[in-house]
Amino acid sequence: MAENLLEVNNLKTYFYSRNGVIKAVDDVSFTIKAGETLGVVGESGCGKSVTALSVIRLIATPPGKIVGGEIKFEGEDILEKSNDELSDIRGSKISMIFQDPMTSLNPVLTIGYQIAETVKRHRKDVSNDQAWKRAIEMLDLVRIPDAKRRAKSYPHEFSGGMRQRVMIAIALACNPQLLIADEPTTALDVTIQAQVLELMKGLSQEFGTAVMLITHDLGVVAGTCQFVNVMYAGHIVESAPVKQIFETPAHPYTVGLLQSIPRVDSLRGSRLNPIGGQPPDLLNPPKGCPYAPRCPKKQNRCLEERPELMSVDRGKQMAACFYPN
Amino acid sequence: MEMKENRSEIAAPNVILPDTNTIPITEDWQSEKVPLNDIGQTKEPKKSPTPFQDSLRRFSRDKRAMASLVVIVLFVLIAIVGPPIYQHIGSVYNSPLNGKIPSTTYHNFSHQELLRQDEGPSAQYWLGTDDLGRDLLARLMQGMLISLSVAIMVEIVDISLGIFVGVLAGYYGGWIDQLLARFTDIMFAFPGLLFVILLTGIFGTNVDTVLANVPIIGPNGNARLLLVSLALAITVWPLMARYVRGQTLQLKEQQFVEAARTSGTSDFRIITRHIIPNLFSIVVIASTLNIAGTIIGEAGISLLGLGVQPPGSSIGLMISDALTLLDTHPWEAILPSAVLAIIVVSFSFIGDGLRDAFDPRAKD
Amino acid sequence: MIQFLTKRFIGLIFVILGVTFITFIMGYFAPGNPIRAMMGDHYNRVLEAQLRHAYGLDLPWYQQYYNFLMHLVRFDFGTSFKYANRPVWDILKDGVPISAELSLWALILQVVIGVPLGIFSALKANTWVDTLNMTVALVIYAIPVFILAVTAQLIIVWLDKATGGSWPVSQWGTPWAYSWDDLQYKIVPIIVYAAAGLAYFARLARTSMLEVLRQDYVRTARAKGLHERVVIYRHALRNAMIPLVTVIGLSIGFLVTGAFFIEYIFSIPGIAKITLDSINNLDYPVIQGTTVLLAVGVVFGNLISDLLYTVVDPRIKTE
Repeated sequence: MAENLLEVNNLKTYFYSRNGVIKAVDDVSFTIKAGETLGVVGESGCGKSVTALSVIRLIATPPGKIVGGEIKFEGEDILEKSNDELSDIRGSKISMIFQDPMTSLNPVLTIGYQIAETVKRHRKDVSNDQAWKRAIEMLDLVRIPDAKRRAKSYPHEFSGGMRQRVMIAIALACNPQLLIADEPTTALDVTIQAQVLELMKGLSQEFGTAVMLITHDLGVVAGTCQFVNVMYAGHIVESAPVKQIFETPAHPYTVGLLQSIPRVDSLRGSRLNPIGGQPPDLLNPPKGCPYAPRCPKKQNRCLEERPELMSVDRGKQMAACFYPN
Repeated sequence: MEMKENRSEIAAPNVILPDTNTIPITEDWQSEKVPLNDIGQTKEPKKSPTPFQDSLRRFSRDKRAMASLVVIVLFVLIAIVGPPIYQHIGSVYNSPLNGKIPSTTYHNFSHQELLRQDEGPSAQYWLGTDDLGRDLLARLMQGMLISLSVAIMVEIVDISLGIFVGVLAGYYGGWIDQLLARFTDIMFAFPGLLFVILLTGIFGTNVDTVLANVPIIGPNGNARLLLVSLALAITVWPLMARYVRGQTLQLKEQQFVEAARTSGTSDFRIITRHIIPNLFSIVVIASTLNIAGTIIGEAGISLLGLGVQPPGSSIGLMISDALTLLDTHPWEAILPSAVLAIIVVSFSFIGDGLRDAFDPRAKD
Repeated sequence: MIQFLTKRFIGLIFVILGVTFITFIMGYFAPGNPIRAMMGDHYNRVLEAQLRHAYGLDLPWYQQYYNFLMHLVRFDFGTSFKYANRPVWDILKDGVPISAELSLWALILQVVIGVPLGIFSALKANTWVDTLNMTVALVIYAIPVFILAVTAQLIIVWLDKATGGSWPVSQWGTPWAYSWDDLQYKIVPIIVYAAAGLAYFARLARTSMLEVLRQDYVRTARAKGLHERVVIYRHALRNAMIPLVTVIGLSIGFLVTGAFFIEYIFSIPGIAKITLDSINNLDYPVIQGTTVLLAVGVVFGNLISDLLYTVVDPRIKTE
């Protein structure tokens, strides 16, 4: 279907360690349409980063391996492509930015060079001068002041927030169709966070770039995404338009997440409401629903059978639960 | 959506019943046995080993390092108990030059049997003889003993001085630190063995004559050993002090030291109770690597003729003696060289293994 | 930058002062009476006093040290005790080009072979190629240079026998000349000399490269779609080289120590051998001259490598 920019079907990515097989992503399916922003939320270890890395096929191959499923980008399965074809796609059609801006840039190359390098790689007909100009353009676009001069600076001369903007500049330099952002603001101060998110939102709207935004912060999702996937223990447990996630969450895990957010207007002296227990051991995942051991509403069936994503009769909302809200 | 109050038979008594929205934190969730899946398997909390025990375990898994450890222990044993045992093996030998001599004599490292020169291994001389008719095995064992003694002497000074100055420099900084830094720079400017060569070269003969009268040391050519050890110790302790200083600086910034200080613990106690015990790993690794260097250093100095003098024996001296015989009797050079190589390579493997055990990230 | 240089320079002066002082003190306290030894059979008290005065040996120690320093600054290392009338520099100068040639080639070999070997090993990390390389490197590095030299000498001796006595077993041939004859003298000592340092560079290059390959910016480079070759050579290698540059200064120290053994075992008439001979002769001025020369060389080598470091890593601009 040409309608979906990205279509992930039954993706399975496993990691093979000395102690066993870690099923980091276990049968995950979702789609992203052109220009759409999808948020992927979950706690640490739920598989959201691994999903993102799988889409762009940057999983370190020992010890990891994409063992099953298909990832269709613009109609073609990425898992079938050769390394050369993949390197053509990365940076020009699918771009990715990472969590820690302090270490994501090469310290011995100027930032102008690092942007221009992408341009030159993917647009063979572009001259060095033109590539450099484009780099300065991009720096302007991400609102780095005095771009012309600063293009010749090195990463260590920039603050965290500015480095992340440089990363965005690099990612968008060749106008990709899809931008994958893996926790782009987690390492930044809250005020800078807001700025960077605003920037991403504005640019993606301006250029029609689809965004897959990975985060553990529900607040981030609320402000920027149209659609949200909630992941837990390597599965997607809920998938819905953003409004419905917040107003009528279906899966008990989503409910728990929302309830655990401390509220300014709660009564004095009331206790916080965390979700009790621990995430399951991915080496030895439980049979049945992965959330069941911690679920306040679990039933026998939950412990035996694993629920698939099913519609909950509220438009596009889907939850992997036998007894959703 | 209704919430059923359901008591599952498989659920253990301390699992919260599914009849409430909010789950307050209670001790139940920290309880010992929490079922994690429906098979009813329970998971006991493991007593996690200390980082030190972890490191020891990692070390014991490194086969090369463990094998090398065995080799070194073997050498130490041979060096210490070898000579007395060897000297009691063998019947009385009727020497044409020296009359009837017992094995305690002809298996002694300095005894020359001038009609039995350059022999290969035999029943009497297990590893053969050198060009002065001396028993090669006896000389080898004596050489190993010398290497061991020098290594121990140097390490004692190295560790004590290194820790003493290093901790003070790291903890108090100031002029001690500056002094250490300057001194280290100067010692580093003397490349490698240059300082030792100088010291032993210039003062060597003097020391021999002066100290020959001191008991134990005697006129065995061993007087120089003290000089060599001293020179080597002076060369290596600044580096140890630097490592210790670095580690002390790191430790000083840690919160447990801050905590101790705020609770009024005296500096002395902080240093002895908190800092010095944590220096263990770095001191052990540095010493192990140093020992290899010291053994090489002593051998090298003796090889250049500046260390142990005849009739004493050192591995380096054995090699040097054999250099002129390379084309006729290569065995006399190969034997000590091979032994030294094995000892040194073993220490390297052990040192590597220790480093990997205490900081596995540093490997790859 | 200027600040950095001046600071380093001051440190340098201090170190050189320290080294010269220690060297001087050792000569001052050295046992034996070189004047007497020099005079041999022509000994007579008056002459001894005159000679002592001529050599400045009757002055108090601090003045002797001062004279010593003043002479050094003018590159005057004094006159030899053993060969009266021959300035120390005259004795040393024949050995300098030989030792320099030996060390230079050893250093070149170490870097040119060692570093690529290490990088190659890193790229094939944990395969049998890597394990083999690193074990061999460890063994070569661990075995002291004189053992390697003795082994090599054994091989030369055997070669000499096998080729009917035409393979040279010692000496150096002509400095800086490379005919086949000359090469025969030089190949083995240079290879042995370079071996330990080569192993060190290989191990260091490997560790450095592996560390760099783990970094986030390498992942970013791949995410940009750059070809793997570019990722490795343009992004990873540039960063991996940085620690290697500092080590070059360090290896000068190793080279100096190694020189003593190599020149001794292969009978090469370089500075180190001359020094060893003069130790046997108790010719202190020569000993002092060499020590100061070598120590200053090491110190300058370190300074240069520190400077190189600031050039190579843009994060280090000034101290």
